[in-house]
Amino acid sequence: MANILIIEDDDIMLKAIKNILGKAGYNVITAKDGKEAFDQMENADYDVVVTDLMMPYANGLEVVSRLRGDATKRHVSIIVVSSVGNEETITEAFRLGADDYLKKPIMAGELLIRIKKLLDNRANHSKLVTKKK
Amino acid sequence: MFSGLTQLLFQAYESFGVLDLFIQIALAFIFIALFATIIAYSVILYKRWKAYAEEKRMNFIRPKIEEMITEQVLINENLEKVPVDEIEFDPAALNDNIYKTPWVRQMVIETIISYRKNFRGEVGELLRKLYIDMGLTKDSFDKMKSIRWEKKIKAVGELTQMDIQISDVTILPLTNSTNPSLRAAARNAYIQLSKNEPFKFFDVATEPILPWDQLELFKIITTTKDIAIPNFSRWVSYSTNKSVVSFCLKLIAHYDQQSAIPAVMDLLNNKDHYFRADAINCLGKLTAEAAEERMVRIYNTQPIYCQLEILKALGRIGSGKHLDFLKSEFLFSSNFDVRMNAARSIIKHNTPASRALIDDLKETSHDENRLIISHCQNPLIKY
Repeated sequence: MANILIIEDDDIMLKAIKNILGKAGYNVITAKDGKEAFDQMENADYDVVVTDLMMPYANGLEVVSRLRGDATKRHVSIIVVSSVGNEETITEAFRLGADDYLKKPIMAGELLIRIKKLLDNRANHSKLVTKKK
Repeated sequence: MFSGLTQLLFQAYESFGVLDLFIQIALAFIFIALFATIIAYSVILYKRWKAYAEEKRMNFIRPKIEEMITEQVLINENLEKVPVDEIEFDPAALNDNIYKTPWVRQMVIETIISYRKNFRGEVGELLRKLYIDMGLTKDSFDKMKSIRWEKKIKAVGELTQMDIQISDVTILPLTNSTNPSLRAAARNAYIQLSKNEPFKFFDVATEPILPWDQLELFKIITTTKDIAIPNFSRWVSYSTNKSVVSFCLKLIAHYDQQSAIPAVMDLLNNKDHYFRADAINCLGKLTAEAAEERMVRIYNTQPIYCQLEILKALGRIGSGKHLDFLKSEFLFSSNFDVRMNAARSIIKHNTPASRALIDDLKETSHDENRLIISHCQNPLIKY
């Protein structure tokens, strides 16, 4: 069962995504802001991080940047979910290392498929690395 | 004890009667101030208590509402298996007694709207179905009948968010309300909800579309999907509402409606200077080459802001036919803004002839004009 960390400051959205992913069989942990997310990331390993952009303490871009800068967490797949739709922010998120970007309002089914795809890619990548060794 | 108090009050009244007038007035003010303070504190305390009680009630109910929405919508087993229209909700969950209280129903509406802001697709559609199946549409329409404009705005917002059609008879009068907030909300709703004729309210608008409302409307028009964009020149030609015409000119430029050029050119004869400036601006953005000659012809009879718009328009159109005119304005005008805009427009042409002209002007002009050209050549400075 994959571990997913959701970082979202909107309570309703946080609970909603948690319920949807929980129903899909994922182990979901939540954080309400960047600071709480950093604490959560210290405590456990995650396969996927779903993060909002506009949050108190540390925004989503800082979360992406921190994850990609940490050698032990660089492998985590990151999906940015935000209502920010301008080109600069989206490209900045990808430039920092986000794997995917979903603009709110989102489609629940689309989020699940994207998470599954990222997890499948990771699994395939791990298999390849093991084979090479 | 009661007689003692009466006696005390009577004595106080008698003593009050023998006091000087100034003392009496001062005492009256003290009593009034004390009385007003007690009233004010009582009101504050009551309002705080009411807000606290309301918050407590809401905190108790909110999880139940969220749980119901989660079970009925977010984790509904039939999602993606059955078409949304055919999904049936659990009647027991929807008909729970708590959902019969008006304030709880209002909370349900607000929660559904919050979810719908975050979800589209099947979840978004199912949220809409839940809103309809719980009979919350009626609650919103009832609010539309309220005499309080805040309630009406709330209702319009709810129905728009839930994509519920409002009849023209109900919404059109509100688009012309004397209350600016209600008017703006109704106009925004009308554009979003009326897919066939979203701009019909332009025909009946007698109240102005304020600049801030124009921004809001512009955002809605340009971001609403599947909106039928009409030829805005019909309002440019026939509307008597100046703000409607001004707004339509902006929309014509945005949607590059070339067929509107003749109607916009007719506005060059308008007596209103601001109208003419808006029309010239629009013609420039439409790169209406046919209008160049006329704009140059009327240039000398125009006020300064129309002249500046003409210079800008010539730069935007950039046909190169009026480089000599721009050159003479740059060289001989005493107005700094005119010289600045003339230089910018020459540069904006970006043709071999305009580049040669700029080089020539740089060599032959005096210091200030050279500085203007250097400033205008800076690509970081936009206009």
